[in-house]
Amino acid sequence: MKLTRRTVLGSAVVAGLAIASGPLARPAAAQETIKIGAPFNVTGALSSVDAPALNGAKVKVKEINDAGGVLGKKLELVIYDTKTDPTVIAATASQLINQDKVPVGLGFTDSDSALALGPIFQTAGVPFVTPGATSPKLPDQIGTDMFLACFGDNVQAAAGAEFVLGKLGGKTVYLLRDNSTEYTTLLAKYFKEAYLHGGGQIVLEDNYKAGDKSFTAQITKLKALSPKPDVLYVAAQPDDIGLVVKQMRQAGLTQPIVGGDGYDTPLLLSVGGKAANNVYFSTHAYMAEDSTPAIVTFYKAYKAAYNTPPENAFAALGYDTVGLVADAISRAGSTDSAKIRDALAATQGYKGITGSISYAGDSRVPQKTVSIIGVKDDKLYLAAEVTPNWIPKP
Amino acid sequence: MSGMQRLIVVVAGIALLGLFSFSAPAMMNDYFVRILTVMCINAMLVVSMGLANGFTGVFSLGHVGFVGVGAYVSGVLSLSASAKASYLPDLPAWIAGLHLSFLSSTIVAGLVCVVLAFLVGAPLMRLSGHFVSVATLGFLIIVNVVLINADDYTRGARTFTGVPLQTTFPWAMGWLLLALVVLARIVYSPKGRAWRAVREDTIAAQAIGIDVLPTRLSAFVIGAFFAGAGGSLYGHYLGSFSPAGFYFAYTFSLISMLVIGGMQSMTGAVVGVIIVSILSELLRNLERGFDLGVVAVPPLYGASQIVLGIIFILIMIFRPSGVMGDLELSFGRIAALLHKGRKE
Repeated sequence: MKLTRRTVLGSAVVAGLAIASGPLARPAAAQETIKIGAPFNVTGALSSVDAPALNGAKVKVKEINDAGGVLGKKLELVIYDTKTDPTVIAATASQLINQDKVPVGLGFTDSDSALALGPIFQTAGVPFVTPGATSPKLPDQIGTDMFLACFGDNVQAAAGAEFVLGKLGGKTVYLLRDNSTEYTTLLAKYFKEAYLHGGGQIVLEDNYKAGDKSFTAQITKLKALSPKPDVLYVAAQPDDIGLVVKQMRQAGLTQPIVGGDGYDTPLLLSVGGKAANNVYFSTHAYMAEDSTPAIVTFYKAYKAAYNTPPENAFAALGYDTVGLVADAISRAGSTDSAKIRDALAATQGYKGITGSISYAGDSRVPQKTVSIIGVKDDKLYLAAEVTPNWIPKP
Repeated sequence: MSGMQRLIVVVAGIALLGLFSFSAPAMMNDYFVRILTVMCINAMLVVSMGLANGFTGVFSLGHVGFVGVGAYVSGVLSLSASAKASYLPDLPAWIAGLHLSFLSSTIVAGLVCVVLAFLVGAPLMRLSGHFVSVATLGFLIIVNVVLINADDYTRGARTFTGVPLQTTFPWAMGWLLLALVVLARIVYSPKGRAWRAVREDTIAAQAIGIDVLPTRLSAFVIGAFFAGAGGSLYGHYLGSFSPAGFYFAYTFSLISMLVIGGMQSMTGAVVGVIIVSILSELLRNLERGFDLGVVAVPPLYGASQIVLGIIFILIMIFRPSGVMGDLELSFGRIAALLHKGRKE
């Protein structure tokens, strides 16, 4: 055979297909495992929160398997990178159900991704638990098979409002929101409701869009305000928060900046730097070596596995979600999707490291305590633990 | 081949594809059916994008703007009354009471885009070259901002959800075939020749009596119809979407499919979609790590995007005008290939 361009191309294609068919036709592992679908946005805009959640989940799976597994079988995470792309998410959802035949799934830290996957799991009757998609509307939008392992945005916004009114003594607030995502718009809406209910006053509301690199227009309007607001509440996505904080501080604004769990990313300190001082945010747990004993144990296990401390509370949420699912499987005594769903819905007082998880009545959103983290001297510290008294309706 | 024979082959081919699309769910699992469905939708979008970008030489970056408008218009129209009441409580009464079927909302979405394309195109199609790209990019940005701020109609930045999941494989295949047949009839007619004449040399085209503005505008408007209809299919495939989904990332993904396949050929557009879709699915599965017995590769998430980028670069180096260039898969060519095969 002459080595022409065509034969080279041809053999390359054949070789590619041969390699590619490998994983598709991969035979089931020798010993039987319990598969748990784990789609996460490991790359793309959400990777700084999704990747830690996945790593946390892996830590818990290893821990459970080392202790003998569940129902005498080992757990196996069937992981896919969904690339922060709704079409990839929809295809992956179908792949998990029809090809990998997982009885239960977990994943994602944002509502948009969960909404793209949800209907496909719901139609197939396969339960799905999200570690970090905090929209309290999610279970109602998708159906009976969707569960949250974290508190809803209404709870964390209410906790933020009470913290601003109480500890920070802020009577007036400037509210800035990223109006291009579900998470930030809802968070700002709930904060406003709770803050007004608590007797605060909002002096100005303004918007920006995810990916904006300059906030000059917003900052100019903010600086022109008289009298100055006591506190700035900024509902931002992980990617933007460092930049927002930095530009506000550069413009000479020294008020406390408060926000939600979108701040809980290494980007706050790495991009914001010194500017991040006097920033507070509500999140799921305080990840540090001086936190609760359960968190400290997890902190060490995570550091041992990945050579880096847990990046944020989503790592702990990923860990808890696997625990929650494993607990439901063992109480169901079976890997039947419907039985796992019923066991999940009946969860009462599951002791997670981010707090205790119970689903009250028909609700599939747990009531949990909110941690408020502050930044002082370029370091995070636990500023308060809040269980809000008044919570806006989802 | 006589005209009659040709017609029979085309009809038989369409019937075969139709039959395949209906029987596919029984033959393969839902995952593959979904991939094929998305491929059909993307093929329709890329082929319609090729009208202006490839055949007429108006390199528009605004195509995805029409896709977004199509998705939202059809989504609002086909939401059930109860879903409208809970998701979009502030809709004006006349829309809130309106509930259209999937097919009619898709057609309405296409027509809305036609009107929009006419309004936008009339001033913009006077521009040429890079200027028209930048101007249409402006259109894309405007659509995005309007979608985000028209809260009452679109839920703003929040996910638009609750759209019935009605885009099945037969629907997507049906629309693709319709788009291909209709567009092929236009592209290879005097109208299509006028498009290409305008692309190759505006002054020469004017000299032989072709009016440049209406010619470009027609390509832009027809492309917009299928973009709107494709947007509706996309929306009814996902069921929930947000303005961020109809922005730069999707624009560049469609453009890369068009450029890789070959901008000046409808076959190229389809081939580009097939190549990019299959490659990205294969690579996405490969990057999870695999075991060849001899070597085991650990998971490398994100590697698929890198490899895909390198493949694109290689294709552009070795075939700068895309895989197909300006070649079409035609009956004459197939016959010639068969003949050549027999001789060897």
